[in-house]
Order: sequence, then C-alpha cells, then structure tokens
Amino acid sequence: MCGIAGMVRAEPTAAIEEGALLRMARAIVHRGPDGFGLALDRGAGFVSTRLAIIDLPHGWQPLQTSSGNLLVYNGEVYNYPELRDELTRAGQTFENDSDTEVVLRLLEREGLDGLQKLNGQFALAWWQAHERRLTLVRDRFGVRPLHYSLLDDGTLLFGSEAKALFASGEIDAEPDLQGLDDVFTLWGSRPPQTPFKGVNQLAPGALLRWEGGEITARRSWWTAEYGKASTEAPGDLEELIRDSVRLRLRADVPVGSYLSGGLDSSLISAIAREQVGSRLQTFSVAFRDPVFDERSQQETVAKMLGTTHHVLDIGPTDIAAGLPLAVRHAEAPIVRTAPVPLSLLAQEVRRQGITVVLTGEGADELFWGYDLFKEVAIRELHETDPERALGMLEGLYPYLGADGARRGPAWERFLLETGARDDPLRSHLTRLEATATVKAFYHPEVAAELDREASERRLRAELPDAFGSWSALERAAWLEVKTLLSPYLLAAQGDRVGMAHGVEGRFPFLDHRVFEYAAKLPPERKLAGTKDKIALREVAARLLPEEIAARPKQPYRSPEIAPFFQPDSPEWVEELLSPGGLAEAGIWDPQRVEGLARRCRGGRATGIRESMALVGILSTGLWHRAFAADGASAYPAETVEPRVRIDRRADIAKEEVA
Amino acid sequence: MNDTDVKAELRKYVEENFLYLRPELDLHDDEDLLQKGILDSLGFVELVDEVQTRYGVTVNDLEITEENFGSINAIVGFVDRKRAAA
Repeated sequence: MCGIAGMVRAEPTAAIEEGALLRMARAIVHRGPDGFGLALDRGAGFVSTRLAIIDLPHGWQPLQTSSGNLLVYNGEVYNYPELRDELTRAGQTFENDSDTEVVLRLLEREGLDGLQKLNGQFALAWWQAHERRLTLVRDRFGVRPLHYSLLDDGTLLFGSEAKALFASGEIDAEPDLQGLDDVFTLWGSRPPQTPFKGVNQLAPGALLRWEGGEITARRSWWTAEYGKASTEAPGDLEELIRDSVRLRLRADVPVGSYLSGGLDSSLISAIAREQVGSRLQTFSVAFRDPVFDERSQQETVAKMLGTTHHVLDIGPTDIAAGLPLAVRHAEAPIVRTAPVPLSLLAQEVRRQGITVVLTGEGADELFWGYDLFKEVAIRELHETDPERALGMLEGLYPYLGADGARRGPAWERFLLETGARDDPLRSHLTRLEATATVKAFYHPEVAAELDREASERRLRAELPDAFGSWSALERAAWLEVKTLLSPYLLAAQGDRVGMAHGVEGRFPFLDHRVFEYAAKLPPERKLAGTKDKIALREVAARLLPEEIAARPKQPYRSPEIAPFFQPDSPEWVEELLSPGGLAEAGIWDPQRVEGLARRCRGGRATGIRESMALVGILSTGLWHRAFAADGASAYPAETVEPRVRIDRRADIAKEEVA
Repeated sequence: MNDTDVKAELRKYVEENFLYLRPELDLHDDEDLLQKGILDSLGFVELVDEVQTRYGVTVNDLEITEENFGSINAIVGFVDRKRAAA
C-alpha cells in the first residue's frame, strides 16, 4: 500500500522540477511512511511513498524494466503468486517477490487485457517510455483513489490524493461549486468530478491513457452488471468468502480485523481467526452514547473468537476534535461524522503496530442488507397490498414517527409515495431529498450561480443502457454501489481515513468474484420480505453465535450534533458558524446558518436533515481552511533520501548520441 | 391565553424553527405547512410534540392529521377545541 504521484509533459524536452516531485511525495507521505522512491525520465517524473507490506526488503518503487517501462502502483493484487506462476510458466523471469513486478510484467506481456486477471485493490500509473504513453488505472470498486489534472500545456499531473497535485505548484486548490454540489446531493463527488476546479478523479473500474499532451482514451475496463440472477445458487458462498479472506491475509506483516458487532465484520473476523489463529487482533469503535454503541455484541464475538481485542471508546469531544483531520484527508466536505471514529480507530490500529485490517464493507450492497432495499421491496408490495406494506414499514422503522404519527398521512406519503413508480432513481429519492435540505443553506449568490439539479440530472443521464431492464432491487443496488459505496464509503470512511494513519483496509466482500456471485444469486436468497442477506446469514449461522448471525442490521452511525455544542467543543465550531467564518468559503448564507445554529444550541435540532446541514457547513469551512488557502508552500519537499532513485534522462541522451 | 396569543406564539415557533430556511417566504396563517415544504414528516412530529408540551393538550393517534396540524390556523383551532373539551 502506497501513495503515488507524478507528472508528464507534452514535450520530452520540457523540464520536470525535481523539487516539485519531492513536494508531491511529501504531501502523501502518510500513505507510505516507510520510505519513498523517485524516477525521472525526459519530460516525466514519478514518485511513490511506500507502506511496506509485501516483500519488505525489496518491492520499492518506481519499478522499471529493461524495456524502459516503469510502474508506480498503490495497492495490492492478492492473487499475485498465482499470476507469477502463470507468467513464469510462460517464460517470464522475475527480479523480486513483490506484487508490483507481477503487475508490471503482466501489463508488458498482455497489455490492458491483463487487468481482468487482477484480483485486488489498486491504482496505478504505467509509463511506456518509448511511446511516451502514460496509462492510469483504478480498481473495480474504487477502493484506492486516483486523481489527475490535464493542464493547458498538455502536462498531466496525477496523484493518489489531490493534495499531491497541489504540492506540484502547477495547480491551485480552488473550490468547484458543481463538485461541491455533488457532495450535497449524493454525499460524495461523482467521478470524474471533484470539489476542486481542474482536478478530476478516475472512475472505479476505469482507465485513462495520455499521449503527446492529450487524453487519448478514457474507458471502463470493468463495470458492475446486474440482470444476471439465476434460479439456483451459483456455487458455494462459504467457500468463496473463505478464499477471498485467504487471499486478503497475504502479507509479510500482521493483519488485523475490524469488528463492528454486526454480521459482516463478525463473519470476516471468524474466518480470519480460523486461518490466522489466536494471534488475530480485532479492533472496535465503541460510543459513550448508548444510541450508537455496539460494544456488547463486539465483545461477544471477540470472546468467542478468542482474539486480542482492542476497543476505542469515543466520546463527543473526540468527534469534534477529530473532524479537521478526517476532512483534510477526505479532501471534501462530508455530511456525516461517521468517518471521524474510523479515523481515530485507524490511528489506534497503527499505535498497536498493525498496518493491515480486514473489514466487512460491501456485504450490505451485494446482499441487500440496507433498509433502503427493504423500502424498495415495501414500495413494490404497496402497489398490490397497501395494508401489509404499511405493517412491514412499521416493523422496519419502529423508532421513527413516535406518538402515533407512524400511521399519519405524512409518514405514509413520505416513505411510500416518493417518486413515480417508473422513476429510475425512485429507491434513492428519499435520501436525495433529505440530503438536498443542505442546499437550502447556500448563500444566495452561490444558489444563483449553481445548477442545483445538475448532479441528479447527470446521474440520470449516465445510467447504463440495461438499467431499465433490471429489477427495482437490482437498480437500487447499482445506485448504491455507484453513488455511495465508491464515492463516499470507500473514500471518506475507507481509504482516506485509514491511509491518513498508514493503515490499509482490505475488503473481502469486494472481491469481484463475490460481487459476481451475488449478482447471479436468486433475489429471494438475498431479500425475502424484510429478511435480509439470507444466504450470507446461513453461512454466518455455521460460524457465529445465533445472536450475531440473526442480528438485524444496525446502521453504523456516529453522534452528529451534540459533539459540536459541548462546553469544551473546539473554538473553530463557533468561528465557522459566525458570519466572518462563513465568509471565508462564501458557500453558506449566514442568516440561515444562524437559524440552524440557534436550534442546535437549544437542543431542538435532532433530525437527520439538520445534522447533515450542520456537519456539511462545518466540514466545508474546515475543508476550505485546509486547502483553498494552501499553495505548494504548504507541502515542504521530502528531505529524506529516496530508497530508489532512477534517472533515465542521461541514459536516453547517451542512447541518442550513440 | 387567547387565540391571538396562541397564533402569535405558534407563528414565532414556526418561524424560528422551520422558516429560518426560507426567510423570503411570506407565510399566511392558512397556508399548508406540508405542501409548502416548510415541514417534512419529522418536522411534523416535532410540531405535534411542541403543541402537546406547550399547551398541555393530549394528542391521540387519530388526531395527527393535516386537518388539525396542516397550517397555523388549523393548529390554533385544534388547540382551542381541545381546551374547550377539557
């Protein structure tokens, strides 16, 4: 696991400032605190910061081959030993034991078709020196980030994080209103958009090719496809998950596991424990507020598995204190505080000497665990049996609409009659509408400048051709993977907060084989009525106590409003809510924000809409302070010596003279 | 507290807690709070709670309707009827 960055100029004779590359490395040193490497070619430069996990003594990057090809690569390809064997049988020789070399040799031999063979999470930049061609690739679900900017002179900058691009000194961090509006529509910017002007992100499962100062190709090499459900289970799910965990335990350092107390992470931890033994360390977030806390379930599983269990106890002060760092690494405003506890947990993992953790992320999207999928099923049922549908709705949300309001007309209308039946986004309209409340706080000038419908319109325009032929639940699953899992959960709650502390998350459910299995699984083996993740629960029932295997989904949430209105809350909270603080970013209207702040201070604001608005407003202020005021000077150049230094400029000059 | 006081108090409550997002809106006492988008379902529940606490009236399930809580005038009428019946 690493950070990567670099720049390529349209003209080979154009200079690359080595100091710029060193600043880019420094900006993402948290992703790879074990050392860094540098490569300079004519009109091209690359850096890699390394978190050493596989082939510790070797495995340094950039890696080059005698053909002049070069690779910087962030991530893991878990099936690299099998691919190495396959390539060896075909006559390939290797210089080290790293997965990096396997990826580079595979690309050299098979080109981009070879990507289909990779099972893992990665972002890479492949430089073909003779052709002066750069190819950027991102893994199927976008576990690892990859940003780029094409400058007016044809220079392409790229980096794991946007801050590496700003560190180059070639582009400034300026807010992009439409990219920001994505966050307040869908919780995260949708590729290629980011909240920064001129900075793009490569989409999950996509590749980009740059040649001669132009982007010559940008296409998907893998897509999440549905409409393939069969009438029988497509094989043994337990065996598949075991194999996925087995591959993801491959590391030359100890691997830990997150334990939320729910089904998914418990199942992954149980399988990991079988394979690793009692040395497995598990990590949990516990909240002092009992509404959010799952510690008793976490302890049940940890005790049963006999792991060395670590609990990080989180109070309101921790959430507020941890928000600035989480936002700095998310590189975007956020509307939930949920990334903060995960950032603090990663910090604890690192403190315990662990750099790799397994998590249960992905199971709810693949096996339809979220309440959102049940809402879809209930809406479908409401067409034919409204009474039964309403009964199921009450069972699903017993805690909402207290005091009898659950049967009220507003309640029924809100959940059941949202959107037209044939609206492709119907499953997500409730979330979109709730999130859009945040936009009501825009400064009038921002509201006038923005097209507030553009984000939703673009999503509608980019639905796959086959979308309409999928079932309502499959459509909901696609939307959940594309709009929430990749741009938000795997980013702000995943890679960014883990790598902020040099901790790599691994996601056994996001093995593409598991995705393809789940897509083929008969729908009733995923969701029947409001019984969810049925096939997965059957696997869990064989490995876990019944109270865990049968436990209903508890959405992972973190306290949202109270942390910012404690007597010892950080000073920046009131600063960023004041007219002066709001004027810094200029996104929010002081009058409306004052109304919200008054309700928050008075303890009146308790709903999700106002909590999203508050966190969105505060995080926008923190994000703006972290970036927009920054220039390259915010990132001092790396001062330690590189572990690898490749300078091909002189060699090429000599070749040309000869 | 007469109807005029109740109305003024409710209006202030709605303005401070829901209308702060729509400062440009000139809300009439008969206008539908749900249809105008001033309240969502959670805001509706919050309003019902507030009426119960502030005016000491008990609201049963069947009374949580738009007829009773849909506008400022509707709420004033509802509180009036509940108090008269008490």
